[in-house]
Amino acid sequence: MHPLDRLFEKSSRSLAQRTSRRSFVAVLGQVLTGTLLLPLLPIDRVNRAEAAAAAGAALPPPHQPSDDPQSCDYWKYCAIDGFLCSCCGGSAHSCPPGSSASVIAWIGTCHNPSDGRDYIVSYNDCCGKSSCGNCACNRNEREKPLYRLSRNNDFNWCAANNDSNYHCTVSVILGAAEQ
Amino acid sequence: MRTWQFGAVLLGLLIALLLPANGGGFAAEPLADEKISIEPLPSKSPHWVYVVDEAFYNEIDARVRLFDGDSYRHLGQIDAGFSPGVIQSPDGGTTAVATTYFARGGHGERTDVVEFTDNATLAIAAEITLPPKRAMIEPTYFNLGYSADGRFLYVSYLTPAASFGVLDPAAKTVLGEIDTSGCVLVIPSGPNRVSSLCDNGRLLTVTLDAQGHEASRALSAALFDPDADPIFVQGVPSTNGYAFLSFLGQVHEVDFSGAAPAIQPPWSLVSDAERGHWRPGGTQVGAIHRRLGRLYVPMHRGAEGSHKQGGSEIWVFDLKTHQRLARWPMKPLKIDAVIAVQVSQDEAPLLFAASEQGSVEVFDALTGHLRHVDKNLGQTPWLFLNP
Amino acid sequence: MPAARRALRQTLFGLAAAAGLSAIALAGPAQDYVLNCMGCHGASAEGVPGKVPALARTLVQFMRLPAGRSYVLRVPGASNSMLSDAQLAEVLNWIAAHFGAAQLPASAPLFTAQEVAVQRRTPMVSVQATRSQVVKDLAAGGSAPDEHY
Repeated sequence: MHPLDRLFEKSSRSLAQRTSRRSFVAVLGQVLTGTLLLPLLPIDRVNRAEAAAAAGAALPPPHQPSDDPQSCDYWKYCAIDGFLCSCCGGSAHSCPPGSSASVIAWIGTCHNPSDGRDYIVSYNDCCGKSSCGNCACNRNEREKPLYRLSRNNDFNWCAANNDSNYHCTVSVILGAAEQ
Repeated sequence: MRTWQFGAVLLGLLIALLLPANGGGFAAEPLADEKISIEPLPSKSPHWVYVVDEAFYNEIDARVRLFDGDSYRHLGQIDAGFSPGVIQSPDGGTTAVATTYFARGGHGERTDVVEFTDNATLAIAAEITLPPKRAMIEPTYFNLGYSADGRFLYVSYLTPAASFGVLDPAAKTVLGEIDTSGCVLVIPSGPNRVSSLCDNGRLLTVTLDAQGHEASRALSAALFDPDADPIFVQGVPSTNGYAFLSFLGQVHEVDFSGAAPAIQPPWSLVSDAERGHWRPGGTQVGAIHRRLGRLYVPMHRGAEGSHKQGGSEIWVFDLKTHQRLARWPMKPLKIDAVIAVQVSQDEAPLLFAASEQGSVEVFDALTGHLRHVDKNLGQTPWLFLNP
Repeated sequence: MPAARRALRQTLFGLAAAAGLSAIALAGPAQDYVLNCMGCHGASAEGVPGKVPALARTLVQFMRLPAGRSYVLRVPGASNSMLSDAQLAEVLNWIAAHFGAAQLPASAPLFTAQEVAVQRRTPMVSVQATRSQVVKDLAAGGSAPDEHY
């Protein structure tokens, strides 16, 4: 089995044991893993980043997930590269008015701490307008270089559109992942 | 002298200064008239560097800035359109830019083109129109490339199918297209040979005939394991080929000087204790001073998914012994993470570095002494090219 | 396969196609399609004209000829995918049934892991040239996909 599948399988299986039903068990699972989400104020992240910077070459702080779709730490953006369409007139899964969705995309998997599931997401670009310029965000969980195009976020996924200028990027849930 | 006398002397001096000596015009000859001209470039220096700025916040307006690492002057600019590939010709006389323009600026009909700029004047000298298939990716050494003799120019296509165009830069024509069966980018790898990186960890090498059409192709042995430890596509030019760095800090050197790519045994930038914790990262993840045999790598502490994070330190290695010669921390210099490095190839070399914030630093490449910081060399300077 | 069973199988696949891919917990070949193929070939496997070939209704046609089956197993997206030989066989069979069940011919056997193992690792020189040749061969013997996609 592909190592990625092994990694994926391991996480899905343990999650499934805790969160197989929307129930007390699911809530209990969140409490046990300590990942009940609280909205993060931007200032919290800045202070943490500064503290880490002050420590010199210390390890970066563990990633703090957010439930704010305009935040780079939003759980769905685990391998996004570009501008968040939610800051550009669109939303986390819709393109801004007047732009067009990329006809091709790459498909990734992100973990949602609030329900403990792994979700398969489609990173579509929105195309046909110039760079949005807001909310630049680049995360690369399980992202791979260009030779594995199906896992790459550097490529301009607008390339196959008639209007292939890059405007911003969304993350669209395709389904909960199973092992 | 009494106060009133002092005041009178001052007043007298003031009047004398203001009144013209001849009593009617101004004190000195007027400035000479000027004539507008085009500033010539100074004599080429190995301390120049071409800074490729993707201008990600205004991505249709990428540009290349020519920077003098000694005088710190911005010498000029080459426009580079949308998501360009940039490379120098083998004789150093031309900068080739493969790029895309939309008919209405941000939208409209797409035209892909290679524009050739004369490095002596920074004026565009010629262009070749491409089919609209160009790989729209970040700038690497391998978006486009010349054969060593300059006869062919190869341009990476990704539509998303992978192939490359073969161009005749002298005749300004597109000779044809070579299907690479999913393998990406163009690494000139010998006379009439082009290599590409494949998802199975191998190199595909296509040999061309004199007309630029495929004569044969071959797959190498495994160069890397894309699942266990992927390599950055941004190879580092070495004496006889390229060194490919992996996410976990392996160095895979490939000698392209022979009849087929010769893969050298990999060696590690990190100790066993460091592996998985200290990692290379960024957009231009290494630079080699070929004569001195030194490799410079921006290194950061991070985990899986941090491969684009810039370095909090620059590590320096001896290519023969594989020993680490130095670690240069960036924090004390108030430099945030380093994402690109380049070294001049002369005997008093400069190390150029770009930070995540977009500043460009100039170091003494032998001592690590920081000489200069420039914050205006681009929004997102992601690639440095030697002249 | 007896006619009644074939009809039932086709009905089930037709229903699966109608249900679509959304709002269900993905598993097995459906998930493999989403993770490894759908990004370029599309949610309905229709591809992108001029850029990405359709798989809907065309994959089953390629399955009719040995050269077509070999082509399908060696296209970079299939042969280089992260799927095991068994998973690749399963997802191809799923695509053939799920997208264009009405044309699933009884004469085109399903892929097996063994067949995948034999064919998959032989590199293809030119994907375009090979596809063109297969399409010509298919046209000579019956229905074929468009040469240009």
